[in-house]
Amino acid sequence: MNIVKEIKSDRIGDKYYEVDHSTGLKIFIYPKENNSSTYAVFGTRYGSIDTSFKTSDELEPNTVPAGIAHYLEHKLFESEDGDAFVRYAKTGASANAYTSFDSTCYLFSCTENVYESLEILLDFVQSPYFTEQTVQKEQGIIGQEIRMYDDDPQWRVLFNLLGAMYHNHPVKIDIAGSVESIAKITPELLYKCYNTFYNLNNMVLCVAGNVDYNKVLDLCDKILKPSKPLHLDKIFDEEPLEIVKSRVEQKLSVAAPIFQLGFKEPACKTRLTVQEIAETEILLEILASDASPLFRRLLDAGLINESSFSYEYFEGAGYASVIFAGESKDPDVVADEIKKEITKIRENGLDQAAFERSKKAVYGRVISSFNSVDYLANAMAADAFADRELFRYIDSVASADISSVQNRLNTQMKPEYSALSIVNPVD
Amino acid sequence: MIGIEQRFVCDGVNFRSIKDTKFKTIRMSVNFMLPIQKNTAAANAILPFLLSRASSEYPDFTKLGERLAELYGAEINADVQKLGDVQMLSLSASGIADRYALNGESISTELSKLLCSIIFDPPFEDGLFPQDGFEQEKRQTIELIDSEFNDKRVYAKQRCEEIMCANEPYGIGRYGTKENIKNLKREEITQAWQYLIHNAKIEILVLGDCDPAPVFDDFFNAFQLLKKSTTVPCPTQNIKRAEKANEFTEKMDVAQSKLVIGFRTSSAIPDAEMSAVKLMTAIFGGTPNSKLFLNVREKLSLCYYCSAQYISMKGIMLVQSGVETKNVDRAKEEILIQLDEIKKGNFDDDEINAAKLNMCNSYRSVSDSLGGLESWYLSQTFTNQIKRPEEAAAIIMAVTRQEIIDAANNVTLDTVYRLIGSGEESK
Repeated sequence: MNIVKEIKSDRIGDKYYEVDHSTGLKIFIYPKENNSSTYAVFGTRYGSIDTSFKTSDELEPNTVPAGIAHYLEHKLFESEDGDAFVRYAKTGASANAYTSFDSTCYLFSCTENVYESLEILLDFVQSPYFTEQTVQKEQGIIGQEIRMYDDDPQWRVLFNLLGAMYHNHPVKIDIAGSVESIAKITPELLYKCYNTFYNLNNMVLCVAGNVDYNKVLDLCDKILKPSKPLHLDKIFDEEPLEIVKSRVEQKLSVAAPIFQLGFKEPACKTRLTVQEIAETEILLEILASDASPLFRRLLDAGLINESSFSYEYFEGAGYASVIFAGESKDPDVVADEIKKEITKIRENGLDQAAFERSKKAVYGRVISSFNSVDYLANAMAADAFADRELFRYIDSVASADISSVQNRLNTQMKPEYSALSIVNPVD
Repeated sequence: MIGIEQRFVCDGVNFRSIKDTKFKTIRMSVNFMLPIQKNTAAANAILPFLLSRASSEYPDFTKLGERLAELYGAEINADVQKLGDVQMLSLSASGIADRYALNGESISTELSKLLCSIIFDPPFEDGLFPQDGFEQEKRQTIELIDSEFNDKRVYAKQRCEEIMCANEPYGIGRYGTKENIKNLKREEITQAWQYLIHNAKIEILVLGDCDPAPVFDDFFNAFQLLKKSTTVPCPTQNIKRAEKANEFTEKMDVAQSKLVIGFRTSSAIPDAEMSAVKLMTAIFGGTPNSKLFLNVREKLSLCYYCSAQYISMKGIMLVQSGVETKNVDRAKEEILIQLDEIKKGNFDDDEINAAKLNMCNSYRSVSDSLGGLESWYLSQTFTNQIKRPEEAAAIIMAVTRQEIIDAANNVTLDTVYRLIGSGEESK
C-alpha cells in the first residue's frame, strides 16, 4: 500500500505530494504543469562522511576508504548490459550525479520521454555491476578529478578550514578521497556499501516539473524492488567543541589571497530545525549583506570585493558552522573586522529596521528559488535527508522575530571557536 | 509556448518582452553593444559596475542596497561579456512578482524606475562620477581580472582564445587589461558613458510575471529625452581557415596540466551552415555520448573532462581537457584522431540522434528560466531572423549526415595551448 499526503503552501501558491511507497521508498512529486522540463533525483542518504557504519546483522563496524561513496556514484552508471548514458541518449535526457558530504544523488532533466527516462533512472540505480576491470578503469578518471580539485583554490581553502575546525568528524576529508585512498577500493567494498546504503528505506525519489503524478507512481510500482527493513548505525567519533587550530595557510597559483573564516558551533546527529536555519540566514543578512555597515566598511577599506565576498551556514549531521569567504589583500584584518562587528551586535542588539529589511530580503530570495525545478527536486531530497519540509522554511522566515534571531548569537559565531584559512599566491 | 513581443524604442534600441505567469519573479536587462577595441575596452567595462552602485536618487551605495533589500531582496547586477568581436555591457534588475509582495508594492514598477535612474541619471559631481566609487570600481575590476587567473580551466581557455585571435578584436579581454584599468581617468569615464548611451546598439529585455508596458514607457521616455540618433555597427571578423597550426606552452605551479585546442570552423552567425557545425560539435565532444567523452575519458582513462564547444558568434571551436603532464600529447593526438573520424564519416545514426535529442532537450528547456530566455535572445542579436527555441530545434533535427561530414571537413586546427604543471601539489 502506498500512503499519499498532499502538502500545500498558500504563501507560495503551490503543492506537492509525499508518498510512502510500499517498497520503503519516500517519493516526492511537485507538479509544474506549465513547465517544459521535468527534473528527477533518485538519491540515497549516503555521502562522503559515512565511512564507518554497522548494520544490525553485523557484530563489528565496517570502516571503508575515504572517497568510496563518490567512487560508487561513478561506477553505478555501468550495468551488466551497458552504460546508463547510452540508454539516456535515446530519450534525450540530460543526466548527471553528485556526491555530497551526506548524500549521493542521480538525476536527469528532460523535456520529452519523461517516463522512459525515469525508468532508466530507477533501473540503473538498482542494478549495480562492479568488476575488477571496471573498477580499475575508473582510477585514472577520478584521479584526474582529484588533481583538478588540488588546483582549485576555492576547494582547497574550504577543506583546509574544515581541517582546522574539526578534529575527528569526516567532513574534513575530501569528498573524492585521495589518489592513495581510492587505490584501496575493490568491487567487494563497493558491493558492501551499495547493499548497505542503497536500500530503498534509506532513499528518496523527487520529481518536479511537467509530470502526471499517477504515471510516476505506476512506474514506481512496476520497477522498484522492495528492500528489507534497514537498521543502520552510522559511527562518528566524538567531536570536541574546540577547534584544531585558529589559522591555516597554503600557497597555490592564485593572483591574490583568498580566505574562509569559519565559526564552529556545537552540533549533534539530529539536524537543525528550519526555524533555526531561517533565523541564522536573517542574522547573516543583517550582519554582512551588501546593505550592511560591515560590508560597506570592508569595501571602502579595499579589503573585500562584491564579486567574491559571501557567507553561508554550513551544516549537516554532526557539524555546523558559519563561514565567511572572499578574496582580500589582508584576510587577517577582514577576520578581525567581522569578529568586531559580531561583538558589537552581541552587546548592542540588532537594529529593528535592519531586521525588518533583512527578513524581507531573505523572504524574496526564497520565493525566487521556487521557479526552478532543479532547485525543487534537489531541495526536496536534501530536506527529506535532514527531516525537514520544503514549505516550512518560508513560513519560518515570515514569522521570525528579532529576539529569536538575536538569541542565535548565544551559540553562534563565538570568536574562541573560529578559524581562518588562507590560500596565498606562490612567491 | 508564450510568445515574445517586440517594440521599437528608437534607432538601435530594441525592446523585447515575454510575459509568463508561471514564473514567480521578473527580470529586466539593458544590454549595450559596442565593437571591442583596445583603447576603449577598459573604460567601457568599468561603466556597468560604476552605474550599478548608485544613482542621483540613491547616491549612496548602502542606501541603494537598503532600498533593494526592502524590495524583497531585489538585485541590480552589472555584467560584461564578449559576443564575437562585440563588447556587451549589461545592467539588469530582478525581483519577485508583484503578487508575492506582502504590502501590495509593485516591484516591477520600482525596478524599472531604479534601472532607468542608474543608467541615465548617475550621481555626478561636477559632471564626473564620484571619486570614491570610481576608485572602488577600478580596484574591483582589477580583482575580477585577477580572479579569472585562479580558475585554471577558465584561465587556460581564455589564454587559448587570446593567442589564437591575437590579431582580431576577439583577442582583447572583455575587461581590457589591468594596465588600462589602472590608468583610467574620471573624465574619460563620463565621455565613455555619453558615447555608450548615445551610440551603442541596445537590447532591452523584460521577462517573467510582469506587465511590460509601463517598463517600455519608462525606457521610451528616457531615450526620447536623450535624442539617441546614431548606432555604431558591430561587425565580427570570421577567419574561415587557419593558415597553420600554432603551438603555445606555458609553465605554472599546478598539479594538473590543461590542454586547450582552438579550431576555425569557417561558419559563424548568421551563416546557415551554423546548425550543422553545432551538431557536429555535439557529436564530437558535447555530450556524455560524444567521441571525446567515450574515447579520451572512458576508453583511455586520460582525464575527467574533455569537451568541445562551438562559439557561433566567432566561428571557432574549442576543445578543453585537464590531464597529467605526461599524457598531454597523447590526449592531443586522440582528440585529433576523433575529429578525423567525423571527417571520414565514421559515426552512426545513433550518435547523430543522441546529439540531436540532447540539443533539442536543452533548447526546449530554455523557456523554463528567465536567465535561459535572456541569453537565448541576446545570443541572436546578430542573426538575420530571431528564432524561438522550438524553431531552432526543428532546424537541428533536419541536419543531414552529409552536412555534418562537410562541417567537420571545414574545420582547421589553429592553436594548441598547453598549461604545463609541475605535477606536484604545492604545499
